[in-house]
Amino acid sequence: MKRYFAGVDIGSTMTKVVIFSDRIEATIIGPTGPEHRKLANKVMEEALNLAQIRFENLSYIIATGYGRINVPFADRQITEITCHAKGLHSLLPTVKTIVDIGGQDSKGIKIKDGKVVSFVMNDKCAAGTGRFIEIMADSIGVPLEDMGIISLTAEKAAPISSTCTVFAEHEIINKLASGETIPNLIAGIHESVATRVSAMVKKLTIEQDVAVTGGGAKNIGLVKVLEKKLGCSIIVPPEPLITGALGASVLAKEIFEKYEREGQMPVRSSCGLQEAKIFS
Amino acid sequence: MAFFLGIDVGSGWTKAAICEDNELKSYAIVPSGGDYKKAAKEATNLALKKLNLSVKDIKCTVATGYGATMADFANDVISDISCHAKGISVLFSNVRTVIDIGAQFTRAITIDNDGRIINFIMNEKCAGGSGKFLQVTARILHVNIEELGRLSLESKKPVEFTTACAVFAESEAISRISEGARPEDIVAGIHKAMASKIMTLVTRVGMNPDYAVTGGGGKDIGLVKAIDNELRSKAYIPYEPQITAALGAAIFASSK
Repeated sequence: MKRYFAGVDIGSTMTKVVIFSDRIEATIIGPTGPEHRKLANKVMEEALNLAQIRFENLSYIIATGYGRINVPFADRQITEITCHAKGLHSLLPTVKTIVDIGGQDSKGIKIKDGKVVSFVMNDKCAAGTGRFIEIMADSIGVPLEDMGIISLTAEKAAPISSTCTVFAEHEIINKLASGETIPNLIAGIHESVATRVSAMVKKLTIEQDVAVTGGGAKNIGLVKVLEKKLGCSIIVPPEPLITGALGASVLAKEIFEKYEREGQMPVRSSCGLQEAKIFS
Repeated sequence: MAFFLGIDVGSGWTKAAICEDNELKSYAIVPSGGDYKKAAKEATNLALKKLNLSVKDIKCTVATGYGATMADFANDVISDISCHAKGISVLFSNVRTVIDIGAQFTRAITIDNDGRIINFIMNEKCAGGSGKFLQVTARILHVNIEELGRLSLESKKPVEFTTACAVFAESEAISRISEGARPEDIVAGIHKAMASKIMTLVTRVGMNPDYAVTGGGGKDIGLVKAIDNELRSKAYIPYEPQITAALGAAIFASSK
């Protein structure tokens, strides 16, 4: 009988679910949003439909990410750092350094055999996170997903002197008004984020291969600047958003099988597919 | 009879103060907008009008602030830190620490007996403790920025913000609102987050129990109360906190 496991990653911006057996059976990515914070059950339902299984078929479920406590039906919570390391290792075993650029934080993680050796993180300041790019995209009226491509046509990155997202937004609007081109501005925005992310990640001794994950990895312009700043090439996994959820599902399988080998049954959550009542 | 003008061109507001014998006679506050030159003239004319004076009655003018050089009719430009220190020393001679909360920047200044600067720290890298934070809060709650203080005082259970970043606090506030948090508790939580950020500035520059809060932030009683709680003392608040630097500039003009 085939066994199924699930990883649920509640990020600040996106919720990701992976259903795993001995391969990925289904992946779902949906917005987290303020009202969706309690609705991990809805995203899980979608994933179950996609995998064509029922909730009862899941042997073990792990929740991760900033909203992991908002998943009442999860059997266990594990930090996103651990899950990221595990997920990336299962996809790209040669990677030793992960740069994760999320919607509300950015991280550098050193891994060995799929386990975390050390990490650095910024979740205190929006500069150097995906949020910075999101806000700037909004204020210059360019869709977030087009930022990367457009920046590649820049002649010269427009320097942005403000660190703070709030001040940088004003600076960019002023620059736009005084005739700076959109591609140059976007290149400047990526430069700003890459400068902060690379300064943080360099606190770890960077070992190759290096991979970038999170929403930031979908921005080709940002990845290119980051390569320049870190002085090495960067691998982008095929679906950089699901690394954490994938790691959670792989860990679910490993934990379940460990219990099984020891002749025990893991403790499961008593909640069915229901809304979260408590929040973090 | 001699009148002296101080003009403070800030990033948000332009302030004019007119003094006679080191005493404030008139003042005006106008939005700086996109044309600082125009704002400087406007503030000056408004302040003059209240005294039925004209430009030629002004013996000397000192300009200060972010856009000081735009007030091209001034006789001299003096830094806003110096003008702040001077202004506060005239208002409260015993104050030794000034916390100026402007539209974009927050500064902490320590001064000596004569109103001279001993040390100062400016927060120009982060909007976390600045007036910008209040603007963001007013916008998401759909209230006037002037109402934030009163609202904050009504709070019984301030929301605990996990961040001092203006951007992250905005999304945190929206999440809390969607979970049913009361507007007054959001505002009080924001004031608390700002106060703790301001506290780090004050600690670095040198804390003194006799401190004043100036700038637009000094008009927000909720914020002032949060700062008082952090610093465990009571702030001196000028009658019009926003014109402190303009007043200082006018005093400097008088001694020229």
